[in-house]
Amino acid sequence: MKQSYDFNIEKIKNLSLEEKISRKKNLDLFYKSGFPTKQVEDWKFTDLNLILNKNFDCISNDVNFESNRDLDIIKNFEHNYMFLTNGKIISSSFDYEEKNKILIKDFNPKETTNIDPGNTLTLLNNALSSGGFSLEITKNYKLKKPLVIYNYFSKDLKNKILNNKNSIKLNEGSELMLIDYNDSNTQSNFIRNTIDVVSLGENAILKNILIQNSKSNGHFYKYIKGSLEGSSNYENYILSSGLKLNKIEIEINLNKDNSSCGIYSALNLLEDQHQEIKTRINHNSPNCKSYQKIKNVLNDSSKGVYQGKIFVEKIAQKTNAYQLSKALILNDKAEFDAKPELEIYADDVKCSHGSTSGSIDSEAVYYLMTRGIPKKEAVKLLINGFLNEVLENITNSKLKIFLEKILDRQINEH
Amino acid sequence: MLKIENLKVSINDKLILKGLNLNIKPGEVHAIMGPNGSGKSTLANVLSGKNGYEVEGEINYDGINLNDLKIEERAQKGIFLAFQYPLEIQGVNTNIFLKTSLNSVRKVRGKKELDTLTFLKLIKEKAKELNIDEKFLSRQFNVGFSGGEKKKNEILQMKLLEPKLSILDETDSGLDIDALRIVADGVNSYKNKENAFLIITHYQRLLDYIKPDYIHVLSGGKIVKTGNADLGKQLEKTGYANLS
Repeated sequence: MKQSYDFNIEKIKNLSLEEKISRKKNLDLFYKSGFPTKQVEDWKFTDLNLILNKNFDCISNDVNFESNRDLDIIKNFEHNYMFLTNGKIISSSFDYEEKNKILIKDFNPKETTNIDPGNTLTLLNNALSSGGFSLEITKNYKLKKPLVIYNYFSKDLKNKILNNKNSIKLNEGSELMLIDYNDSNTQSNFIRNTIDVVSLGENAILKNILIQNSKSNGHFYKYIKGSLEGSSNYENYILSSGLKLNKIEIEINLNKDNSSCGIYSALNLLEDQHQEIKTRINHNSPNCKSYQKIKNVLNDSSKGVYQGKIFVEKIAQKTNAYQLSKALILNDKAEFDAKPELEIYADDVKCSHGSTSGSIDSEAVYYLMTRGIPKKEAVKLLINGFLNEVLENITNSKLKIFLEKILDRQINEH
Repeated sequence: MLKIENLKVSINDKLILKGLNLNIKPGEVHAIMGPNGSGKSTLANVLSGKNGYEVEGEINYDGINLNDLKIEERAQKGIFLAFQYPLEIQGVNTNIFLKTSLNSVRKVRGKKELDTLTFLKLIKEKAKELNIDEKFLSRQFNVGFSGGEKKKNEILQMKLLEPKLSILDETDSGLDIDALRIVADGVNSYKNKENAFLIITHYQRLLDYIKPDYIHVLSGGKIVKTGNADLGKQLEKTGYANLS
C-alpha cells in the first residue's frame, strides 16, 4: 500500500513564481513513485514506505518554526552554539570566536541548485524544503571551541515531515568541530528529511559528530554530500541511538590529492529501532585516504544496516581505503545486514574491508563475573568497550568524556 | 574454609573428576600437582562456578553449599581464581574494569564504594608492589600484554579484591625467573591466618618460593597422594609415572 500524504507547496512562505515552478516539478517527479520501497536497490534493507505505513496517517508538510522551548545548554564542555527549532535558526552564540570569521544565515535555496535526485527523498526535499542554515568559515580561521547545533523539535509535529537543506562550507585552511545535537521533546511520530551540503577547501578540517540525546519517535533521513579539496580532512562520528528510524547516507568526494575522510559509528539499538548507514566514498584523485569503522549492538528486535561502497577512479592511484563493520547481536529477533562494495579502476591501490557479526563473548562474560561483576553489568561493560573504541581519535578530553557519557546512557537505557 | 567431599565432575558426558576429597583450613597453602589431563583446571573452573560442567558431590565453602552460588556471588564471598590463560578484553579499560569489580565486591561486603580518585590511588600502590607499569592500567585490559604481564595482572586483581580463598591455576607457567619471584612475593605478602591458597601447578619451581603446607597429587580424577612440601621435590626427581 502506498503511504498517503498531502503535500502543498503553497504552505511554504516567500517563494517566487520561478521557485514554485521548479519545486512543483520535483514534487510531480516524487509523486510518480512515492516513498522508496525495498524494490529500490538502495533501500532494500529499509523499506521506508512500509515503515511509514505502519506508523503514520496522512503525512503533511505544514510546519511552523516558532520556538516554544528554552535552550538547555550542555555544561560539560565550552562551546559555541546555534539553536534551531524544526531546522530553522532561532539564535546563535560565538562568544569564543572572532565573530567576523563565521558567517551564518538562513539557507537560501537560490544559492544551491537542486541536489541531484539520487532518490525520491531528495526530490521531496527539493520540492518542500524550508528552514535550514548556511554556515561558512573564512579562510585560515580555526574555531577555538566546538560548535554545537541544538536541534529542537516542536510538539505539533505529529504526522508531519520536515524538509531542511543546510550548507556547511569551510574555506581553505579553516577548522571546525561541529556537533549535531538532536533533542526531541516530542513523542509524536514525525519525519525529518535533511540534506547537508558540505564543502572543504584546501587543508580544511571538519569533524562532525551526530548525537541523539533522547529516545524519539522521529523517523530521520539525512543525506550528507561532501566535496573535499587537496589535503583536507572530513570525519564523521555517528552516535544516533534512540531514534525509531534513522538512515544516514554519506557521499564523500575526495576530489584532490591527499584529502582524507573517516566515518565512525557506535550504535546501540533497542526495541524495534532501525538504523541504516549507507556510505559512498569516491576516490577521484590520487593519494587519498578513507577509513570507516561501523559498530552496531543489536538488542530486542532491532535492525541495523550498513551499506558501504568505495569507488576508486582510474586516476586515483595510491588510494588507501579501509572499511570495517562489526556487529554484536544480542537477541535472536535482532538483525544486522551488511553490504560492502568495492569498485576499483586504478591498479595501484590498497583497499580492504571486513565485516563480522556475532554474539557477545561468553568467556569474557565469565571472566568478568569471576571478578564479582553481575552478568548484566558484565555485558554492559563489554558493550561499552565494544562501542567506546570508536571515540579513540577524539582529542578534546572534556568532549570525549561527554561523548562517553552519552554512549553510556544509550547503553544503559536498556 | 573449603571442604570437598566425593566430587564428581563431567563435561560432555566424560567423567573428569572421579570422587575428589579436599579440606582446606584458614591460613593453609595447598598445592595440587599432577600430569596433564588429570583434572586440575577442571577443579579450578568448577570452584569458580563456570558453566558447562555436570557437578555431583559436596562443596562446602564457609558453611555454604557452593553449588547454590552464582559465579559473581562466589567472587563477592571471597573466592578468587587466577586464570591459567587470562583473557584479553578489547575496548574495556583496565581501570574501569577493576573499579567496577572492586566496587561490586565492596558493596556486597558492606563496605563503602570507592570514588575514582581513591580507587586510582589504591590501584597505583598495588601495581607498584608488583612492578606493573602504571600506564598498563589506562590501557585496554590485557590487550597486547605479554604472558608475564597478564599473570601479574591476575595477582594484582587478587590483592585488590582481598579474597579468602585464592586459587592460582598454573600462574607460574610462562613466567621468567624475575616475574616468578614478583608473583611469589605478591602471594607471600598477602598470606595470613585468615586466608588460604590452592595452587595448581605442574612444577616444583613455584613451590620453591611459596612454601605449601600440603601437596596433593591429582591423577585420573582423584587425589592419589598427599604429603608435605618434600613431596614436590620427590616428584621432581621421580615424575608422576612412578607413583602408585
